Amino acid sequence: MRTKVLVPAMRGVAALSASLLVLSTLGADVAETYRKNLDDVLGTTSYVTSTDADSARFVSDYETVEDMAAAAKDIAIREGQEGTVIMKNDNDALPLSGTSEVALFGLAAYAPYPYNAGDFRGGNDDAVELLQAFEDAGVTVNSTVKDFYVNLMNKHEVVTQNMWTGADEYSIGFDYIYNTTVGDMVDFAITEVPANEFENLGLASDWKSKINKEDTTAICVFARPGGESNTYGAGTAVNYAGEKTGEDPLALSEDELSVIDAAKETCSKVVVLLNTGNAMLISDIAEGGAHEVDGIAYIGCINDYQCIGIVDVLTGKVNATGALTEAFVADNSSIPAVQNFGGDYYADAETLAANAENGYDERYPNVDITNTSAVGSFGGGDPTYSGGEYIVEAESIYVGYKYYETRYFDAIANPTFNAASAAGSTQGAGWNYGDEMVYSFGHGLSYLPYEQNIKSVEVENTVDGNVTAVVEVKNNGDADGNFLAQLYVSQPYTDYDKENLVEKSAIMFLNSAKVFVPAGETAEVTIEVPAKYLASYDYKNAKTYILDAGDYYFTAAAGAHEAVNNVLAAQGFTTADGMDADAKGTATAWNGNKELDTVTYSIENDVEVTNVADDADLNYWTGEDTVTYLSRQDWEGTYPINYNKDVQITLADSPKAEEWINLLKGKVYEIASDSPATEGEDKGIRFDATSIGYEQLENVNDKYWNELVSQITIDEAIGAVIHGGSQTDTLTNVDNPIVLQNEGVCGFSAAYTDEATGKVYHFNVNSQTLLGSSFNPQLAYEWGLVEGNSGLWLERYQLWGTGLTLKRTPYNGRNYEYISEDPMLTNRIGYGTLKGCTEKGILNGPKHLGFNDQEHTRNGIAVYLNEQKLRETDLRGFQGGLEDAKGLAVMIAFNRLGPTNASAYAPLITNILRQEWAFTGVISTDMVNNIYYFTPEGSVMAGITQMADFATNDNHINLGEGGVDGSWGYLSLDAVKNDSALVEKARENLKYQLYTFANSALMNVSTEKVEVWWDTVLNTIKLASGILLVVSALLWLVFSVKPSKSKEEN
Amino acid sequence: MNSIKKITPGIILTVITLLLSVISIIVYNTNIAGEGYFHNAAVSNAVKFNVLGIVVLAVAIVLALVPVEGVLAKVLTILSDVCRIVAPALFIAAVLAIVTARVEGFAFIYFSNVEVLQEVQTPANISSAHGAIANIVFLAITAVVGIVSAFFSTRKEA
Repeated sequence: MRTKVLVPAMRGVAALSASLLVLSTLGADVAETYRKNLDDVLGTTSYVTSTDADSARFVSDYETVEDMAAAAKDIAIREGQEGTVIMKNDNDALPLSGTSEVALFGLAAYAPYPYNAGDFRGGNDDAVELLQAFEDAGVTVNSTVKDFYVNLMNKHEVVTQNMWTGADEYSIGFDYIYNTTVGDMVDFAITEVPANEFENLGLASDWKSKINKEDTTAICVFARPGGESNTYGAGTAVNYAGEKTGEDPLALSEDELSVIDAAKETCSKVVVLLNTGNAMLISDIAEGGAHEVDGIAYIGCINDYQCIGIVDVLTGKVNATGALTEAFVADNSSIPAVQNFGGDYYADAETLAANAENGYDERYPNVDITNTSAVGSFGGGDPTYSGGEYIVEAESIYVGYKYYETRYFDAIANPTFNAASAAGSTQGAGWNYGDEMVYSFGHGLSYLPYEQNIKSVEVENTVDGNVTAVVEVKNNGDADGNFLAQLYVSQPYTDYDKENLVEKSAIMFLNSAKVFVPAGETAEVTIEVPAKYLASYDYKNAKTYILDAGDYYFTAAAGAHEAVNNVLAAQGFTTADGMDADAKGTATAWNGNKELDTVTYSIENDVEVTNVADDADLNYWTGEDTVTYLSRQDWEGTYPINYNKDVQITLADSPKAEEWINLLKGKVYEIASDSPATEGEDKGIRFDATSIGYEQLENVNDKYWNELVSQITIDEAIGAVIHGGSQTDTLTNVDNPIVLQNEGVCGFSAAYTDEATGKVYHFNVNSQTLLGSSFNPQLAYEWGLVEGNSGLWLERYQLWGTGLTLKRTPYNGRNYEYISEDPMLTNRIGYGTLKGCTEKGILNGPKHLGFNDQEHTRNGIAVYLNEQKLRETDLRGFQGGLEDAKGLAVMIAFNRLGPTNASAYAPLITNILRQEWAFTGVISTDMVNNIYYFTPEGSVMAGITQMADFATNDNHINLGEGGVDGSWGYLSLDAVKNDSALVEKARENLKYQLYTFANSALMNVSTEKVEVWWDTVLNTIKLASGILLVVSALLWLVFSVKPSKSKEEN
Repeated sequence: MNSIKKITPGIILTVITLLLSVISIIVYNTNIAGEGYFHNAAVSNAVKFNVLGIVVLAVAIVLALVPVEGVLAKVLTILSDVCRIVAPALFIAAVLAIVTARVEGFAFIYFSNVEVLQEVQTPANISSAHGAIANIVFLAITAVVGIVSAFFSTRKEA
């Protein structure tokens, strides 16, 4: 009887313990792979860092966390103070100090965008919203309007439960709120409550009588949101009633205009605040508009404390010094870049598919791979190269104001250039600047009257030289204040340029600075900028940077349009010639360059600068002049057509069809099989402070680094590069510290908890939009220092902490992360931010180098352009931070450059970034979400140091089934061990990465892995189940073999 | 009649386990054949473990039903029992293989940033995720029932 019971019992226990053993053993492997993610979800900390304060190279400037938080808050407030742009100010609408009351209209007035914490916003307990900022500043807010909106919106806490931990998570919700989701070129609902709904929704019918019109200024706030993977689509607006209007979603809707009309009816003055990262269409409320208001101000996308600074400007506590980072135009369809936006498929895109008909891809035998763009940005679904779509950036260098101001200049100075033709006109038969432009780049009104003029300009005409301008700012007002000085240049546009299609903007922003000037006095401010940015790239003839002979006009002005008028006046033109205003300042001519110079800027960092990206031009592939790039010498004949709809691009017709198609399939590099790589072996060299001295920190080519990485095994050399996201793992023979990667553009999203008080601090309080519109590189530098300091406090050393992609069009849903449409403003703000972080030893990688300027189909769309545009627009925006400020990291664009994934594009990463710019930092891909789009061998050879997959502890290419790579089945140790070039390139990439780590605050710390509670649980289960399995299996066997007692008795 | 009398709770539970494991593999195939995120996303290790589990269970049932007595019966019973000890562990291994392969997909679908949820959480992707979850749940239940069945004998004591 005893045996009869024990046999099944022991068998059952054996089955249970065997299952638990498998569960705990394999589960531990899974948990190890996703350790960082589990830590995030479960709130555990698997890695602890210890700081040796005595020998630290990078230490925080703040002794207490309160000081750290106060510094971050101070920057945020200053962003509000310096970034708020007064675009229009009539009838003394601003500052508000003269009025006794304000009435706040619009949903965004009570919940400025963004209102929820997360990637966009810190979420500190003491955050200040606009309403509170007004009240704190002593401004009386009309209670009738306020109560209506507050009750209507019904701000409330939304509690959701973390599905893993069960912990409550809080966010802010409203019953009525503006739309915060753009979507991807889909209908966009503008949900502003129109005025005719006010009374239906609870506002007393006599509400108008509750506003003292004479003494009340209306502040109307309207928002347009942004978001990753989001793109506005032209004509997609939907109104409050849910009807499609066909209007531009960035235009003020009829519902919003009705709110403005109600405000005009009830208040003596109306000011509209634009709460967005996207340039909006505001002709209706600007001068001469049907709903013209007294004042308009741009307030960007706020963060926790910016509203304090914004109200400081609106109330006149500080002078207004912000300026527009983008041109605000009358109609987005007038923008040359918009003519080619979104993209579409090649006529024969099906040629790209791998299937039985076309033939299979040898890397993926018998796998059907399509050409279609992957679902959204996140892959999934059928295998696809995501290579079927393309776009042509035919506008060349004429992005934003550069197009409008240059065409305006030519309409006056160069009548043969057809500037007044109908091409590109949206407001009349002939193109007219005043009709197309509402507020240009750099525009921003000051409360205090002032003048700015260049006192002197020196051009040190060498590749390492500087342009140094002394700008004299005269305060004509009766109060002390800060002022913005902006430096512009007008380069000569020569016959050589026309012949060789070297484009020149008639006016180019160079740099800017803020200066304090007492009332009635004059102060000087020195503005510097590297002289190399005066040069233009000639991709046709000289195939390098050139500096034309002729007069370079430098001018200081309150915006690009004022600057171009200053230059026109200096050249003898007047309003009689068509200028729309007299010059407000002078322009100083520099003509130190007497003849065309093709040499001075052709060598950079000892590297010859020449064409490297011919294959990014569609004409290279078609073999003919398919694309006509916009050229100012003929505005009419070169105004961009749409290269997706107006012409048919057929891959098969190309004389280079096979090469083209192969690149679109990601066949960038063929792994060799005849050149055995040297296997890494332990030579006892380690990544530690005792081995890394001054020489090693100064020189990435010091023999130590080569010897260090020569120890890395082939498996790990390739594996560590191609599985480098989330965190950088420890290499076996190197013992480098683990580096966790962090988001985001507002600062480290991780929070700091003060153990003594339990108080939680969020240091990610930056606003990219307001930092940009501050036009203050010094403020950017100070923010960079604060961002770097916060990394030291958080003990996190790498983040993707700024966005420097250009705002090519207003439709990009991610413009809120970026600085400007202008390369040099982006360049200088990026310079400041990255310089600050680098000085604190923090790897701050800007996103996303290489024309990631639309989110729509970003994960595969091919961007075609010429090399002048390549070098003088998007890349120039990054150059200041990465080359001049010696930034420590960068993230590459998601899209293709030409047919090649930007992350496998060696001309960008090796030739320009590593060689010309001498960049020694970490180079990461964006999210590796599609194995058929991202090709590891291509990225290794291009110079990527880490491909951003999201698992951890996966430094190997033998972790998949059958010893092949876990992601790319065609990769294995056997597949790569006979390609010495590939392996050595991977080691070189890791060398740069380790060199960067050594030059960062990482060298302050040691990282140690500790056992967290779930490690303990898994290990205990593993041990207990193993013992139980052995015991129960033995007992089961013994009792099974042993004759049963009852039988013996029988 | 005699053969029916020989059917023990252990046999019944083992057969149920076998059926559940077959359903699991059908759910798996339906999931990867259907539209959505996990379309064509095969997990060969999971299939191997699942199929191996099915084979092992089938062997266990056959061995248990072979009409022999004496020492041979004892040997076959031991072999059958070994199969029933091993089978749940195989299903657990299959569960973990599926979870490992699906976890990033689940993260994309359920935990992407709010602003991209609209494009990520399409009906097809949600349905695909539900299918994958159903696959995991069925395999887990299969393993649990397999463990329970091991506590019951497949042969009636003489």
